[in-house]
Amino acid sequence: MAQAALTIDGLSVDFEGFKAVNQVTMTVDEGELRVLLGANGAGKTTLMDLISGKTKSVSGRVYLHDTDITNWEEHKIARAGIGRKFQIPSVFKDLTVRRNLEVASCKKPGVFANLRFGFGAEARENVDEVLELIGLTEHANQVAAYLSHGQTQWLELGLLITQNPKIILLDEPTAGMTQAETHKTSLIVNNLKGRHTIIVVEHDMAFVREIAERITVLHLGQVLAEGNVEAIENNPKVREAYLGSKGIS
Amino acid sequence: MLTKRRIEWAMYAAFVVLIMFAPLFMDPFWLNRVAKYLVFGILGVAVALSWGYAGILNLGQGLFFGAGAYMLAMSLKLASPTSLQQGSDKPVPDFMLWNAEPGAPTELCCINKASFLWLPFQSQWFGVAMGLILPVVIAIVLGLVVFRKRISGVFVSIITLALVLLVRLVVIDAQPITNGFNGLTDLGWFKVGDLEFDPYIVPTYYLVAISLSLVLLAARLLVETRAGVILQAVRDDQNRARYLGFDVTSYQTFFFSVSAAIAGFAGMLYVVVSEFASPTFMDLTFSITMVVWAAVGGRSSILGACIGAILINVISAKVSETEGFAEAWKAVIGLIFVLVVLYLPRGLAGLAHDFVDRLAARKPGNGTQALRVTDPSSQAAE
Repeated sequence: MAQAALTIDGLSVDFEGFKAVNQVTMTVDEGELRVLLGANGAGKTTLMDLISGKTKSVSGRVYLHDTDITNWEEHKIARAGIGRKFQIPSVFKDLTVRRNLEVASCKKPGVFANLRFGFGAEARENVDEVLELIGLTEHANQVAAYLSHGQTQWLELGLLITQNPKIILLDEPTAGMTQAETHKTSLIVNNLKGRHTIIVVEHDMAFVREIAERITVLHLGQVLAEGNVEAIENNPKVREAYLGSKGIS
Repeated sequence: MLTKRRIEWAMYAAFVVLIMFAPLFMDPFWLNRVAKYLVFGILGVAVALSWGYAGILNLGQGLFFGAGAYMLAMSLKLASPTSLQQGSDKPVPDFMLWNAEPGAPTELCCINKASFLWLPFQSQWFGVAMGLILPVVIAIVLGLVVFRKRISGVFVSIITLALVLLVRLVVIDAQPITNGFNGLTDLGWFKVGDLEFDPYIVPTYYLVAISLSLVLLAARLLVETRAGVILQAVRDDQNRARYLGFDVTSYQTFFFSVSAAIAGFAGMLYVVVSEFASPTFMDLTFSITMVVWAAVGGRSSILGACIGAILINVISAKVSETEGFAEAWKAVIGLIFVLVVLYLPRGLAGLAHDFVDRLAARKPGNGTQALRVTDPSSQAAE
């Protein structure tokens, strides 16, 4: 049995009476790739917000390995080892692609520790590797604002890879992508499998099939089912709530 | 790509050489004037740092400028000959006597209820130290409150704007120790050892010119550090930076404070060359004028904002003294601003950058996408 990387225990949030996430309990193992499925409003993104500290929970705990990180400040959770990609791609648009990654490669978070020039040889190698992995080597000196939508998404993935967190949260990494771009994204994500623990929120079923190991289905803020693609496909409760009668296709 | 960086540093060097040789061509009157404009150039650097690099549009930069100015002016007021002729063996500012209650002792400690605050300013270097410390302390307190609450954009501008007006009112109201809206006038000269900085002599010009050169260099180097790059990342996307593990508040507060320190420093130099400090430094128009300088010069270029400040002031001086424009010169300046914002959103510095890019593109096999591709180091200066 692999060690649990992320443990969520009875997590709830309350938006003035509306429980967007209600008593969610789940465990994600070290090195696992977990997909979160669910209809709009099922609480997928809210769950990510709770894990990454954007939203504060009202009850329940979140553990990163054995550390209780419930309701920490965002940058502290990030430093503890949880990286997050947003639904709307966000990168540093006025900096070049290389500069973007160099910022992410910065090991020390404080102002005064960074009052020095250059990011070091180690960072340069790391950045070169990541550029290769996300396929933006040729665009390294381009200002991020001029990247295409797909390239921007990959750059944001690159920021996470450079940061090298223990757990990567991906919120709809293929939103707005063409089929070819989606495929390339799945290659990048598959490449990360094993090295990082990954949690993905995704709607694109083709993409889910390409990457998924285990799936957790959320419905109205609660965990409805958990299992592999096949088990989820055949789960009657899931069909009823989310997939309709046609199954995953 | 490397050539572009070299051209940039060459521009800095050319600028420094230019201001160093300027005294050869000027009479004392213009020398003093240009020294004031160079002080405004320092203010331009402060604005570029906070607006261009940190993304914080501070509409109350005059607060820091004024704080620096008043701190040094208090010391220089006590060093003024008139302060020593008020019938006490220790200096007492003349305006305190004019307003003293009958029977009050002619002593700085107790001529009025708050005059003791002036006591440490008998040392000129205390005034100098406070001219940096006070703006920085205000900036840190303000920064920690505002940035921790994640207030950003136009709301920061409104808060800073309100604050500078508030402080201006307080300064005018605290008449017994600030001389109200008259400000502090009739000041002594700034002294270093035996050298007295008479505002109309060449050494005073060099005091300002060398200060400006050092501030330019320091600010430019600062934004090229890792922290400077991370600051720009914070400016572009606060949230992204936060989720990469950076404490956004501390970056914003740090650079906001540096900008405040530079503005305070400029305030002190202004007192040295103009021999007064007044609440007009904290007028709304002045703070907004600084922003205009930076916008015209190019807010995301340290040198650009500095040149913008100097250029606009030289133009204002010339235009306002041209017959026929004596009344309309403010409209002329306003027009320049509108035209720049409409047609040169990156200011004169942006224009210079594009020009250099075009030159680079003309060379065969060099930068085919010159307008789009810029190397990471020069990006910092754009």
